[in-house]
Amino acid sequence: MSNNNKKWFSLNLGRKDKESSGSCGCGKTSGGCGSHASETTEMTDEAFAEAAINASIGEERVKDGFEQVFDVKMDRRSAFKKLTASLLIGAGAVSTSCSMISGDESKEKAQIDWEEQFKGNYKLMTDEEKQATVDRLMRSYELRTGKNISMSSKNAEDDVLFGYAFNISKCQGYMDCVNACVEENNQDRDSQMQYIRIHEMKDGKGFNFNEADDNYYHEVPAEGHFYMGTQCFHCDNPPCVEVCPVQATWREADGLVVVDYDWCVGCRYCMAACPYDGRRFNWSKPEVPEAEVNHNQHYLGNRLRKKGVMEKCTFCVQRSRAGKNPACVEACPTGARIFGNLLDPKSTIRWVLENKKVFRLKEDLGTEPKFWYFMD
Amino acid sequence: MRRFKVLKSLIRDSLDTITHGSRKYHLWMAALTFIMLVGMYCYSIQLDQGLSVTGMTDKVSWGLYISNFTFLVGVAAAAVMLVMPTYVLKDIDFKQAVLIGEGVAVAALIMCLAFVIADMGGPSVLWHMIPGIGVFNFPNSMLTWDVLVLNGYLFLNITIPFYILFRHYQGKKSKKSVYVPGAFISVFWAVAIHLVTAFLYQGLQARPFWNNALLGPRFLASAFAAGPALIILVLAIIRSYTTFKIEDKTIKKIAMVVTVAAQINLIMLISELFKEFYAPTHHSESAYYLFFGLDGKNALLPWIWTAISLNVLATVILTFHKLRNNFKVLFFACFILFIAIWIEKGFGLIVPGFIPGPYGKIAEYTPTGIEIGVTLGIWALGAFVFTILAKTAIGIEIGKLRYKK
Amino acid sequence: MRKIVCGFVFLIVFYSCKHGEGEYHGVIEKIEAESENYHGTSISSEQYLEDIKTIEISEDGHTFLIPDRKGQIKSYACTECHTQPLAKMQSKDVKKAHWDIKLNHANENTMNCVTCHNPDNMDNLKSLTGNDIDFNNSYNLCNQCHTKQFEDWKGGAHGKRIGGWAPPRASLTCVNCHNPHKPHFETRWPVRYNTQTVKERD
Repeated sequence: MSNNNKKWFSLNLGRKDKESSGSCGCGKTSGGCGSHASETTEMTDEAFAEAAINASIGEERVKDGFEQVFDVKMDRRSAFKKLTASLLIGAGAVSTSCSMISGDESKEKAQIDWEEQFKGNYKLMTDEEKQATVDRLMRSYELRTGKNISMSSKNAEDDVLFGYAFNISKCQGYMDCVNACVEENNQDRDSQMQYIRIHEMKDGKGFNFNEADDNYYHEVPAEGHFYMGTQCFHCDNPPCVEVCPVQATWREADGLVVVDYDWCVGCRYCMAACPYDGRRFNWSKPEVPEAEVNHNQHYLGNRLRKKGVMEKCTFCVQRSRAGKNPACVEACPTGARIFGNLLDPKSTIRWVLENKKVFRLKEDLGTEPKFWYFMD
Repeated sequence: MRRFKVLKSLIRDSLDTITHGSRKYHLWMAALTFIMLVGMYCYSIQLDQGLSVTGMTDKVSWGLYISNFTFLVGVAAAAVMLVMPTYVLKDIDFKQAVLIGEGVAVAALIMCLAFVIADMGGPSVLWHMIPGIGVFNFPNSMLTWDVLVLNGYLFLNITIPFYILFRHYQGKKSKKSVYVPGAFISVFWAVAIHLVTAFLYQGLQARPFWNNALLGPRFLASAFAAGPALIILVLAIIRSYTTFKIEDKTIKKIAMVVTVAAQINLIMLISELFKEFYAPTHHSESAYYLFFGLDGKNALLPWIWTAISLNVLATVILTFHKLRNNFKVLFFACFILFIAIWIEKGFGLIVPGFIPGPYGKIAEYTPTGIEIGVTLGIWALGAFVFTILAKTAIGIEIGKLRYKK
Repeated sequence: MRKIVCGFVFLIVFYSCKHGEGEYHGVIEKIEAESENYHGTSISSEQYLEDIKTIEISEDGHTFLIPDRKGQIKSYACTECHTQPLAKMQSKDVKKAHWDIKLNHANENTMNCVTCHNPDNMDNLKSLTGNDIDFNNSYNLCNQCHTKQFEDWKGGAHGKRIGGWAPPRASLTCVNCHNPHKPHFETRWPVRYNTQTVKERD
């Protein structure tokens, strides 16, 4: 992504030109350097607010994403932004940082929250900015839970386009994939959110979803039935991406349709636009017991979500971009699920597309799913 | 500088007007305030716990809020049916009504925006939508078009009456050359807000119930029936409670507009029903659900049949001159027509779009108490805003409010 | 005035046309075009295969890894026990090893133990024509009958990929999923049941 034009929201909260007294010269992007609290404890409220703002801007940091964000001269436009910003959470954030001056950590927490609230759209970030937000999120998790997570911001690789094939004759309906998916992707346990649905279809009725059951509970495979899994098909012409008013969801270069959970405003237009039931909404705060949290995360993938945002299958971006198969593919005991690089002429997915009789669901809608079905 | 002084005086005077009134007026405002407070309380619960306190699910992901939003866009657009004859066609009949109509539009638009915000999962990051500081997915997303046209229409409907009232307040005549271009634009704009809102749904290939070419035109027809019907009712109330003079022929003319729109709406309804049921396809299932129920799930049946029968009844009443010219009958017809279209263009349109789901699964939707509370609160907000606007406007128009030098 | 309005309308319409950014008519066309000069990627799944002992096989132009089999068989080599003909071993007082294996694979007319096992050379399998087949390459035994499945397996449509999607390709071989003595999959309960969905649909 190019750097030369300003592509995203930026905010100048009264950044001063004067050099600060070296209070934050540690150069860390997310770690606390420890000198703020002691300095600010005896300040007046006004001076404190200024210091808090300075802290959140981090004057002497390395040139990370936020340096670039906040490094704009104050003009009328940014003054307006400042106004908007303060209207939104200003009061809350400042009061948080003021009331907890005793702890360096809570100070840092407030700083991270502030920066996270006003960061830009991940899609438009440079690699450094992506790294910075990921660092902040990791640090924030550490501050809140005392545990470490590893979060990646790995970009799409050149010459990769992910595709998926599903063998209807092989699926036995065990739902191991559903289980693996929930565990891998940190989905809300309370509402039992699941990306994958396995439809139990009657033989001789064709692909009649109306009569299919996607929530069966009996010994499988059941006599006279076959099984068909659906999830997000990562369309090449995704209607959900078109309709998003804020570009919080988009198609990556490797074909994954992803969501920036922090940019999503929760209007659910994409959900109405998806013909494949591929999207899920966090109607309440998602809960995952700490012991079950998958700590290997990706910003666009399985990191912990908040309430009121959209989420969906990402073909396990945290795994697939590292060369692994998505959790569902790995968990499938029957080998019904095939995943791979569509651009690699030697890949197994290409062999399937070229040698088996493949079809896709609702092809007439022109969405071009990258998820094919086939039979033995 | 002088203008600021006048403005200051206008604000002071209008504050004075809206805080004084009869006992009934105070009761009305107190009731509205109470409902708004209840609505705010309900909304605070929703903010705290998330949208899970509503009846919406992953299956039916839009409900009462978006239904009301859709309907109210229509009400807002209806102001144009009064603006056009008055300003554009120079039929002075409507002069009195048009300010009221624009007040209704402003209130409806504020309600629209409130409903959209109530429906958002993350209202705290709504700034992501503001062009310039957020990312505005224009022109791809119809929602961004809707944001633009709604706010533009709101702006037009605030500025035009404000200009006229501001002049009248100073005892001056309003200049045609200033407000007529604005009125012209607002005529097209009103059609635009409606079509764009219809396109919001019409453009989704995932939902065959919405994805039909008649949706937009039918939206317009029903809006031009329901909106003026509401304005007639409002005028009737204003006529009986204030000294503001509204002539019978004004109401009769608006009734004519309602009649024609209701008739066209009915023709389109027949066309729609024919298409869905003469040769039903897989895509007719939503219509089947709406009108007859599917697999024993029939929550919308009583609603839609009430709406259809009220709609037909009202249209029949309005069609006969004798009945229409009897004001008691007219007001009754307008009332039932308004209710009918609220049901039909509200959740009768939104909810069946999601049922059955993309894979034929039927999960019904029932709004929860909290959702209804927020909805009522927003309606009360609209009524409150309208009352304030109307009271000030009437004060100026009947000459009670004048700038004292 | 009118010209300006017309120009403005044209610009809006022009700007609103969203189709045109797509170079291809469909995703298949895109795949074909873009894979023409495919250079390979830096992503490898080698690291995920480190823990598994694999052997490389090459069949009809498909070269890939399969798990080593001999190391997985508990009592390989067979001749460590099978030093004498079977009849003699049964009569003796030795500990029973796999006496409980019941062949549930095709019918008796088609198969019995010696269809695959060579009573004269227990350390290898044998083809229908009596040639030796290494335990590691047991798929060659299966493909004598299951030719269609073998074709799919070679291409990657049948069987399970291990490691990751990235090269090098490693797939499970027949006997990793199918017990050769009882090759079908058992029925069992699904591992998950969504009680929330049931509530929603009531």
